[in-house]
Amino acid sequence: MTAPALSGTQAAILAAYAELIEELGSDDVSYRVIARRAGIAERTVFRNYPTRVDLLLATAAWIEATLFAREESASIFDIPLAIRDAMERYDARPELAHVVAETAMRGVSGASPSPGREQLERLLNAEVPSLDAEQRRAIIAALSHLDSVGTWVTFRREFGMDRRDIADAAAWAAEAVLDGIRDRVAPQRDA
Amino acid sequence: MEEPVDTATAILASAAVLLRERTFDDVSYRALADEVGISERTIYRQYPTRAHLLAALSNWIEQTCLPLPPFVTVSDFRAAVHERFRAFDASPAYAYVGARASAISPTIDTEPAFITRAIEAMLDVEAPMLNRRDRRRVAASLRYFSSAMFWARLRTSFDLDAGEICDAFDHAVDTVLARLPDATWAKP
Repeated sequence: MTAPALSGTQAAILAAYAELIEELGSDDVSYRVIARRAGIAERTVFRNYPTRVDLLLATAAWIEATLFAREESASIFDIPLAIRDAMERYDARPELAHVVAETAMRGVSGASPSPGREQLERLLNAEVPSLDAEQRRAIIAALSHLDSVGTWVTFRREFGMDRRDIADAAAWAAEAVLDGIRDRVAPQRDA
Repeated sequence: MEEPVDTATAILASAAVLLRERTFDDVSYRALADEVGISERTIYRQYPTRAHLLAALSNWIEQTCLPLPPFVTVSDFRAAVHERFRAFDASPAYAYVGARASAISPTIDTEPAFITRAIEAMLDVEAPMLNRRDRRRVAASLRYFSSAMFWARLRTSFDLDAGEICDAFDHAVDTVLARLPDATWAKP
């Protein structure tokens, strides 16, 4: 995942807003409070993020790229481990996890529900090149879905799972998706 | 003639109407008040924050416009979810509201959705020998792949239509259920 290029001012605004979301919730944070926390003028916040939706989209992307950033997996078969780690990270920052999850589900341009998709496609194409287009799409879709904060939100809310159970169940489901392609792996030259 | 509905419901019905022409973010309390013919303050009294409004609106839409077909067996479950995804395609604005509402930090004591309980009940009948942990893993996976979030993600980032989303859903259900040993399934 590539972090969007931000100016120092923008990074300060997004960091301040994320901090305030954790303290106050996402509903009650005014531009004035964000500006004060970031140590800049309110109009500077407006100039960079004219609407609340702009601000939320940028903040969610920043959180994904920084606080929830993960190490690149070397293999598609490492993805369940990455998912397990990601769930633990979401669990440590529940307010931010909800904001990222909700922002991804807005259905507006700029929301990116599957930021890790390109990496998954690259790994799958390299390791299991023999899949047809539909199989490939089904696997990428399922793994993208599991490798997202929506998993943490849903497992917690609908099943009352704790951190350990969420990490376990999410990784288990990802292993299930990979079961279908374990016998299709192409020989790796530099293995 | 039906009885006039209460204020809280009238607000939700009007919000659903406004969703046909704008996104939830653009449904302001001001516009909503004008639409219902009440004061903005009355709306704030019912729904103190937009998160409250979103949660209530999603529940109302789900009950009124997108009811889940009942299911007992796995094949009924698949059919019910297919029907739902097709209904989402027909009313994307409603489906996005559902996906968003299921992602927010709960505003009230939220009960698990009906579909969660229905999936658990289905597994009790269809796979009675399943151990507790596996049953929870399976239920959680099936629940998440049948969600409005799955539909929204596949539509937004993969640009898929309902038919393709149903195929991806079936594939995911297959892979999850394939993990269960034959002996855990009920014999017909």
